Amino acid sequence: MGALIEGKGLTKSFGGLTALKGVDFHLDEGEIIGLIGPNGAGKTTLFNLVSGVFHPDSGKLYFNSKNITILKPFEICRLGIARTFQIVRPFLKMSCFENTLVGIIGRNDKNGGKEERKDEVRTLLKFVGLGNREQTLAKDLTLIEKKRLEMARALATKPKVLLLDEVLAGLNPSEILQALELIEVIRTQLKMTVFWIEHVMGAIMKASDRIIVLDQGEKIKEGKAEEIVSDLKVIEAYLGESDA
Amino acid sequence: MGNKQQAGTAKKVGIPALFIILAILPPFFLSQYWLHVMIISLFYVMMASSWNLIAGFTGQVSFAHAAFSGIGAYASGMVAVNLGVPPWLGILIGTGVAALLGLGLGYLCIRMGGIYLSLTTLGFSEILRIIITNEDKWTRGTMGLQVPGFFSEYSKANYYYLFLVVTIFLLIVIYWIVHSEMGLTFRAVLNDELAASSSGINTIRVRILAFTISSAMAGLAGGLYGHYLMLITPDIPSLGQMFLVLAMAVIGGMGSFIGPIVGSFVLETLSEYIRIYGEYHVLLFGLVALAMARFAPEGLMGIVGKKWRKEWVH
Repeated sequence: MGALIEGKGLTKSFGGLTALKGVDFHLDEGEIIGLIGPNGAGKTTLFNLVSGVFHPDSGKLYFNSKNITILKPFEICRLGIARTFQIVRPFLKMSCFENTLVGIIGRNDKNGGKEERKDEVRTLLKFVGLGNREQTLAKDLTLIEKKRLEMARALATKPKVLLLDEVLAGLNPSEILQALELIEVIRTQLKMTVFWIEHVMGAIMKASDRIIVLDQGEKIKEGKAEEIVSDLKVIEAYLGESDA
Repeated sequence: MGNKQQAGTAKKVGIPALFIILAILPPFFLSQYWLHVMIISLFYVMMASSWNLIAGFTGQVSFAHAAFSGIGAYASGMVAVNLGVPPWLGILIGTGVAALLGLGLGYLCIRMGGIYLSLTTLGFSEILRIIITNEDKWTRGTMGLQVPGFFSEYSKANYYYLFLVVTIFLLIVIYWIVHSEMGLTFRAVLNDELAASSSGINTIRVRILAFTISSAMAGLAGGLYGHYLMLITPDIPSLGQMFLVLAMAVIGGMGSFIGPIVGSFVLETLSEYIRIYGEYHVLLFGLVALAMARFAPEGLMGIVGKKWRKEWVH
């Protein structure tokens, strides 16, 4: 069986700036794959291509061997790829309950009665730790709660792949541990594949099966955590070249 | 819990019921003149509330709303004059024509979004007005199209009740839409289009749907209005009319259910008092609407209702 998601030669420029240059990557089913790189490396651009927010200038994207290169975000979401945003984007003037319900409506699967949907929303909100926030407007949540709400909304679409863009940023160490447990549960119980961008190195190294490193729009390294941390190119990308 | 729920239901049903009972009374004590003002106010309630459905709930500022009411009025008027179709059926045809044209215009220009949608609808509105004004055989130009009324015997009270029933019907439909899953997707698109799309919502379809529904409602309101006045003129689809509707929704409170209703009654009644200043009242309302949009974006209902709303809505 082939990869669940496969990107071939993905290139994307914005004006004169090339954000991605011929990036190849793949995600296998059930994996947790980390995406790291310095600021401006093109991580979020890659997410935007996979989720259909932008389309690549050249290159192809496949999901379950189906070409999804030029599909719109809602079509990609319905196929089974959901995401969260680096700068959170919950529906601010809607309650947590309504935010999550949008994800369920987004599945467009028609089955399930009103009560079933309500139960599902409640289960999801409990799952991300917002069980007592059902009627709170998203704008009144803390940043961390907003991130959890985005997670609930993404999970509500019943994705096969979850793209998480810096969900750990701004969390304290114990909250990071909770979040990591949540991600592990998402993989083991919900059987989802997780593709995540993170700057919290310890966490992403520990929790990922495989890590992809981008620098200035190119993939400079891919492999297990221990291979990444000892790689000279990766260290250079983060710390700058040594003179020696 | 049970008591609270009962109290909630009592409020939900009780308050509208009270208003409906109060609304039955005016023909018994109002003069013919003020009854006319009430009828026109009800027309504006339909217009402002249905415009609010697209502008307030999906964030699409369309300037073609008065144009669609004109389409409803002229379509209904022309089938009545030329084919002898009774107004009852005519307004349904007018509604259908407005819906179809709304769908077409929506399909063409909604992808543009934002300011481009506003400009395109503005252009559409003007083109329509120019065609109607210059056409003679079908629309009778600036002379206006004389059309039959709904009742064989003219009675303002009858018209008042007719407008009241249709207005309540439209408001119920709007309330139902806003509180349905469809309404939830409308609000999601307004809150954050990209996030909605990334959550599996076909945002273009949602916006075209809202535009079509809203246009159909304007067509219905326009049809009623035309057969009430029994003279359909290019004033109905004019931009002056459009800005009045806009001012009513903005001053009353966009994005709230009650706002446009309050705005319509307040502004229509007010404009009767300042009628002597001619068309300047539209200018005045425009300025007030601008100031409101800047300093009190939730309108009158936002100012008065901060405390209220907490009690009534939740």
